[in-house]
Amino acid sequence: MRKTLKLATREYKAAVRTKGFIIGLVLAPLVMGGSLIAFALLKDRVDTKDKTVVIIDRSGVLAEALIEAAEHRNKEEIYQAETGKKIKPAYYFEMVEPDDEDPRAQRLELSDRVRNVDFHAFVEIGPDVIHPGEKSEASRISYYAKNAAMDNVRQWMSWPINNHLRKLRLADAGIDESEVEDLFYWVNVDGLGLVTVDEATGDIQEAKRASEFEAILIPIILMMLLFLMIMMSVPGMLHSVMEEKTQRIAEVLLGSIKPFEFMMGKLLGGVGVSLTSSAVYVIGGIFVVRSMGFEEYIPFHVLPWFFAYMLMAIIMFGAMAAALGSVCSEAKDAQSLTFPSILPAIVPMFIYFPVVLEPVSGFSTWMSLIPLFTPTLMVLRLGTPEMIPAWQPYVGLVGVLLFTFLFVWAGGRIFRVAILMQGTPPKLTNIFRWAVRG
Amino acid sequence: MKAIELKDVIKSFNGHVAVNNLTLSVPKGSVYGFIGPNGSGKTTTLRMIMNILYPDSGEIRIFDEPISRPGIDRIGYMPEERGLYKRMKVRDLLQFFGELKNGKNVRAQVDQWLERLDLNDWADKKIETLSKGMSQKVQFIATVVGQPELVLLDEPFTGLDPVNTDVIKDAILEFQAQGATVIFSTHDMSMAEKMCDFIFMIFKGNKVLDGTLSSIQDTYGSDTIRVRAEKGACILQDIAGVEKVNDFGQMQEVRMRAGSDPHRILSEIMLRTRVSSFDIVKPSLHDIFVRIAGPEAGGT
Repeated sequence: MRKTLKLATREYKAAVRTKGFIIGLVLAPLVMGGSLIAFALLKDRVDTKDKTVVIIDRSGVLAEALIEAAEHRNKEEIYQAETGKKIKPAYYFEMVEPDDEDPRAQRLELSDRVRNVDFHAFVEIGPDVIHPGEKSEASRISYYAKNAAMDNVRQWMSWPINNHLRKLRLADAGIDESEVEDLFYWVNVDGLGLVTVDEATGDIQEAKRASEFEAILIPIILMMLLFLMIMMSVPGMLHSVMEEKTQRIAEVLLGSIKPFEFMMGKLLGGVGVSLTSSAVYVIGGIFVVRSMGFEEYIPFHVLPWFFAYMLMAIIMFGAMAAALGSVCSEAKDAQSLTFPSILPAIVPMFIYFPVVLEPVSGFSTWMSLIPLFTPTLMVLRLGTPEMIPAWQPYVGLVGVLLFTFLFVWAGGRIFRVAILMQGTPPKLTNIFRWAVRG
Repeated sequence: MKAIELKDVIKSFNGHVAVNNLTLSVPKGSVYGFIGPNGSGKTTTLRMIMNILYPDSGEIRIFDEPISRPGIDRIGYMPEERGLYKRMKVRDLLQFFGELKNGKNVRAQVDQWLERLDLNDWADKKIETLSKGMSQKVQFIATVVGQPELVLLDEPFTGLDPVNTDVIKDAILEFQAQGATVIFSTHDMSMAEKMCDFIFMIFKGNKVLDGTLSSIQDTYGSDTIRVRAEKGACILQDIAGVEKVNDFGQMQEVRMRAGSDPHRILSEIMLRTRVSSFDIVKPSLHDIFVRIAGPEAGGT
């Protein structure tokens, strides 16, 4: 054990004393969370160029209301109150007379003008839009643009159009809108957690307001952090072993330590590096979240599980990566084996979304109890506000522990045979044979 | 007391027998030379002694005990392929290897060795800045820094200049003087002849020589003549009783057929040319090696 720790210490120092480690520590979360960070930084950077939309109003009742709503919006919503800076584009609507004789030719002509950037888009309102009844074609509102699916104007205009249609329908029904002021008042359904009792005082505690941040973002951040730790250490383990083999350091070391001690030394060194990195991220994260006043969202109860699963995951995947590294004789061997070594850690990334939405479903439970997926998926489930049955994290941990022993045992057998072999390209059959027979 | 004892050791790789039924006994305090062509089983034997490879059958004992981790810790091993952490500093690296070997007072030993092998100025430099010769000296220190009682050196003189060769040679002999046992493999026959108390030769996995130099030479008898003569090797070819001529340019080594009379050979040479020197000697280790492993014996 003393020798294993000695080697682990060397590995740890060699890793954390490099500039690469510091740079990686900063860059890794930026790369992993790059899109989120970019979204946060760039979310206010919208195109403020004004947009003009042409209306063909075959109903004859909506265009005016739409123009009026747009004018109101352009006056009230597109400038920042404090600075007067324009932050959104103005929308302008222009009416054209409907061509009842050849509507298809009119649509083509307007489409060509959109292509020529004469205006942004055109919208065609069907004649029976107020009372659609069975006549679905005639009651349709169609929006034509280069990218209509993601068009902000289209999304905005739904509300003023429907609001005005409701008023028209009320008037047709002979109801005075002013008599039913609350008719259009929209009531939201508030999401709340469960009411609890303060164990110290016995008082009933009001339920906390549920938030998407707490329900989705926190568990995903925890899972991504664990995934990041795996990705930072496992491929590195494979390449490090391969390098020590090709640079002939392995045989020098084997003159002093057993192959198993060698592998465990490297694994524990990797675990130490991951613990350091994760401690920096977790402590730094807690500090930042507290300074922003969101302390209540920090899932302190998940952190012990996070570190326990991370420890197991690094040893489990690291043992296999070390074994695979030991069968490589050159860099291209290592390149071809890197992906298989991290594949079990990547699979949960494909299925995490249904798990975070339904953390106690049968699918989520069973997937999170598959030992190779347990570390990331169980941490994800534990991070949600949902109550995971208390036994599941323990059963998951036992499964991971068994797999870790299995991987370390098999990895050690492969490592012992392969570490001194030179010039033999890695073959799956050999790897399995060495794992089984030693 | 035996430093190393191998009994009927066999090791195969994928059906190829690398070491075949090897029995060997290395007395404590001796310098033992392992010779043999490339791929003959020297490194495999050394790796089995270090417990890096396990024999298929047979028994290996270290200091009269079965192989164990404490026993291995008493051995310093320098593999044929040198390997050092390139980004570590020389002193840190040596300290690491010394401590890994359970060495006592490692720091002081490291300083002594650095001083002795003239590497003091490089102690705080990274390994990647060293020349090949210096790296080799560092590798040697890494092997001996734990004060091992037995040192296994796989081709320790390869790549060294004559000055550094002498430095390592002196260190090996000093180790022996202090009571340690040294086993080294080499392709340098003259070095083996001069340094080794015992020589062991392995060929195609089989032990073919084992003993002191003189006992090995005695088995071949004084069947070799060293001649310095004008006109060189060409006048020696067709002389009766001459089996083989090994031409070194300035000197020729002649192997006699069994039962041949060296005086008749001398007389024949003198009839053809002037002779400046003529010695009847036992065959050199180099010659014995070639007789066993060379083309004439169907070897490499």
